[in-house]
Amino acid sequence: MKISNSKFGLFLSLPGIVLLTLLIIGPLIFLVYTSFLRYDNIRPVVFCGLKNYKYLFRQRVFWLSFKNTLVFCGGTTLLTFVLSLLLAHCLSRITRGSSIFRSFAMFPWAVPLVVSGFMWKQMFNPSFGVINDVLLRTGIIKNPLDIFGNPTLAMIGVILADSWTRIPFMTIIILAGLESISPTIYEAAKTDGADVFQTFVHISLPLNRKAMLTGLLITSIFSFRTIDAIFSLTFGGPAKATYVFGFYILDLIYRYFNFGVAASLSILMIIFLIGIGSIFVYNILKGGKL
Amino acid sequence: MKKIREFLATVLEHKATPYVGASVILFIIFIPILWTLITSFKTLEESFFSPPTYIPKTPTLEAYREVIFNSPVPLYILNSVIYATSTTFCVLVGSVFTAYGLSRYPYKGSGMVLGSFLASRIIPPLSLLLPFYIIYKILGLIDSKLAVVIFTVYLCYPLSVWILKTFFDDYPQDLMDAALIDGCSRLGVLFRVVMPGIAVGIAAVAIISFLWTWQEFLSPYLFLNSDQNKPITVGVYYFVGDELTYWNSISAAAIFASIPGIVFFLIAQKFIIKGLTLGGVKG
Repeated sequence: MKISNSKFGLFLSLPGIVLLTLLIIGPLIFLVYTSFLRYDNIRPVVFCGLKNYKYLFRQRVFWLSFKNTLVFCGGTTLLTFVLSLLLAHCLSRITRGSSIFRSFAMFPWAVPLVVSGFMWKQMFNPSFGVINDVLLRTGIIKNPLDIFGNPTLAMIGVILADSWTRIPFMTIIILAGLESISPTIYEAAKTDGADVFQTFVHISLPLNRKAMLTGLLITSIFSFRTIDAIFSLTFGGPAKATYVFGFYILDLIYRYFNFGVAASLSILMIIFLIGIGSIFVYNILKGGKL
Repeated sequence: MKKIREFLATVLEHKATPYVGASVILFIIFIPILWTLITSFKTLEESFFSPPTYIPKTPTLEAYREVIFNSPVPLYILNSVIYATSTTFCVLVGSVFTAYGLSRYPYKGSGMVLGSFLASRIIPPLSLLLPFYIIYKILGLIDSKLAVVIFTVYLCYPLSVWILKTFFDDYPQDLMDAALIDGCSRLGVLFRVVMPGIAVGIAAVAIISFLWTWQEFLSPYLFLNSDQNKPITVGVYYFVGDELTYWNSISAAAIFASIPGIVFFLIAQKFIIKGLTLGGVKG
């Protein structure tokens, strides 16, 4: 007996559907459900409607972490974008040894985020860190700078460290886009007398808009939701200056054991990301690839 | 003004410029890794010198000896390898069939399934930590290796399906039809014809899942309590003490933690980049 093609397809994708239901849809429904419960591991669990959300909106920590997340996410995305754009344009013109250059560009991606946090923490150290030493020697600063002791500087430090790990990915996305632009367009522009700046503004930027948008969206989504590097760098400090949503969720789960509120915060985070992500999904579904 | 612009344009258009530019940026990018490497060859005392020494005064393998023989790091690395390989295996087995079905034998609702795989990537893993945590607590899975593997499978699976599907889509239909006419079964076509043809895609998915699991930090941090199950990402904290942080040992451990990624990029950079650009990854 031979089953029809479409049934065969369904049969093949069964493991996927099962995993999707068990690992994503199930927990998601459970999360939504939990967010409506008074679940603080002290009093008995009861249904409480939207009280968890109202509670969150009244908390100053919530708004503080919201602000920090936006600053962190925006700063990281912007810095990563500028550096990756430069690097990708350089790499796209490199012909000799291009594979070695590209491997090197990918190295930060190989370092686990948490570990990269340690690397930067060491370099930023006011007494034995290399960054302070270089700044002191070149005379840019007079006294050692305790970057993670100052709220503003700490945020900048965290953004620097996190961007570092995100450059490789953004670079290859932009690079892939650049390589799909036909070289004949550049040649035609050149014969018409366009210089580097004009080809950059009128060809490279507009024709590569889609890849750049994809890179920007993915980087912002990931920096919005990942806290590994901040975890080992500042752990949200000093004075909660780098305290982003992720830490708030972790604290609610691990320190306050208030699962209900943690669930509502998780839901809010998903809603924020759907806002950013829907543009991304729309783009992919519309264009097929990248 | 015009002259400055012309001058800059000539400089930028010069053949050597991208090499210089890329080298400068890559050098800056490489500094953290380089500095960690330098520190790992210092003695504990020297790692606290102020100002820091740029070349270790007494280069020593003390930190590496400490990490390998006097710390649980080898165990942590073994755990990481176990997590990464088992996740990769599960993800590969699951996603090859699913992606093949979705790509070649569409059925009623297959578009929706594919869409949910894509949409599920927007859900931050951070948000699903809580439900997983509570479910694990109920099932008594907290502090077990299985808890971490299940979570990392969730992390890697949707992306793998998506990447593999694009590879299956690009595979020429004619070759498959020819094999079918020759009497090959539909599963036989997958194993004997298509899979060797998209080996690059499978390799990419395997490497990406491996590295992604290797780098995962928050879920093992939250789900594990005891030392014996910790992966290297959590295990690095072994060297952070209340009074003293063993910077040279941390650096050595950091190098160990980064080795798999660096090795994979040196040998399979092209596959990984292809997979990454098709899928759009990492968090």
